[in-house]
Amino acid sequence: MHPGAKYGKTLQYLSIVKALIQIEFFKLFKQSRTYLALASLFCIELIILGSAYFQGKNILDILLENLQKNFYFEGNLLNGNLLVYLILNTQWFHLPLILMIVVSGTLTTEYKDRTIQTTMLQPVKKGQFILAKYVVAICFTLTSVLFLALTSFSLSYTFFGRGDLIVYLDTLNFFPASEAFPRLLYAFLSGTLSMIFFSVASLTIGVICKDAAKTWIVSAFFLILSHLLLKIDFGNTIMNTLFFAKLSDTWQYFFQQDIAWDIVKLNSFLTICYILLFIGVGMLLFIKKDIE
Amino acid sequence: MRKYSLIGLFIISSCTFVHAQQHDPDLLYIKSRMDSIQSFSVDLTLEVDISFIHMPSKKAKMKYTKNKPIKFSSADFVMLPKRGLDFTLNSLLSYSYITVPRGEEIRNGKKYKALNIVPTDPNSDFSIALLLIDISNMRVTESEISTRKDGTYKLLMNYDKPTAILPAKVEVAFEVQRIRIPFNFMGKDTDIDRKKMRESGSKTGKIFLTMSNYIIEHIR
Repeated sequence: MHPGAKYGKTLQYLSIVKALIQIEFFKLFKQSRTYLALASLFCIELIILGSAYFQGKNILDILLENLQKNFYFEGNLLNGNLLVYLILNTQWFHLPLILMIVVSGTLTTEYKDRTIQTTMLQPVKKGQFILAKYVVAICFTLTSVLFLALTSFSLSYTFFGRGDLIVYLDTLNFFPASEAFPRLLYAFLSGTLSMIFFSVASLTIGVICKDAAKTWIVSAFFLILSHLLLKIDFGNTIMNTLFFAKLSDTWQYFFQQDIAWDIVKLNSFLTICYILLFIGVGMLLFIKKDIE
Repeated sequence: MRKYSLIGLFIISSCTFVHAQQHDPDLLYIKSRMDSIQSFSVDLTLEVDISFIHMPSKKAKMKYTKNKPIKFSSADFVMLPKRGLDFTLNSLLSYSYITVPRGEEIRNGKKYKALNIVPTDPNSDFSIALLLIDISNMRVTESEISTRKDGTYKLLMNYDKPTAILPAKVEVAFEVQRIRIPFNFMGKDTDIDRKKMRESGSKTGKIFLTMSNYIIEHIR
């Protein structure tokens, strides 16, 4: 084939994918469940802020109890930076759960409403169709994390102000406010990769299960399993380093005194590899399967 | 009769001895120097050396006024030691006490007068203190205070000039208990069992204080 013709075909392929992506975005933001998901995220955030306000002082007292004997404390530790950290701690479980429901729903509803058959009657290849779904899933995940970051920083700083961040990771680490902010930003960026992984995984699960309820159950199981496996020591360096479940708390490295950039880079690279692997597997299965 | 005379002599001589040891004159002189301070303010730089705490060096301002609690101010969060900032020896000598000479101690080739302070008032919060006094400059350079509740503290004080009455650097060593807590506010771990979380044993922590810009007001 002439290289020009090949280039033209690629352009045509991509223009269809682009059109499909636009359609997917239209469908995503047309459905009420997308806004419901964002609203529920916001509600969880408010609950976390409220709970942290009431429980935070108690926890800080416990953390610093032994030091109170020896020290006077001057300044406020229950501040916006600590609350953003707490939101991160809890939202990295709730957010993927909500993302998985919305993202997998973009495919399973197509199966349920049989709109997928209508789409496939058009001059659209299966690969283009599912690729557009994955792209939109990633974009929606990015939007959700951005929404989460903006709301948590603005709410926390507005109501609780700035101050030193105290984090307990085997040792009590104190970060000045100026240092806490970039660390929290890095944590959001690192967590985003993890969120994309779970979104992509849920779409792949959707490809396999097709049914919405089954997909949600399997996705939730996958998420819970990942969280359980994160805490388990496999007694094997390769498994402890490379296994996908071990990568989801990479964001915590930004709250160690000296950031282990080598580990962060390796984990981020591995997460991207897993994302591509799940997309590849999902696309392959979708292309091979017949639309019933 | 002879027996009673001997007992009487023993009691009198014991009383005289105890009286002689009640207040060491050098310590009294240092206390009078300290008592001449009406107030002072100083900029503090604090560094914490505790194995399970990572904290950058912090800055604070300290304001002392005679017979008033010490006041601190800082732009950010700061942990200040409860012991080691009482440069005027107020907390040590505020209750009745006796002093017991312990001879001389040598530090870095220099001789210091060693002195025990034993409180005679049960309200005192320490049981015994050991002071090393620099006789040539008439100031305290080292102290070890055994408190009734908070363990033992050791203070090392360095002065920037021979005439200085207040230290330029202070090292505070103390015992501190280590804790382990899962930092998860919202999960099921919220109800923390304090006893379980606390590891047995204690660690020695150190605080390094550097003082600058003393503004001292003496009693007129």
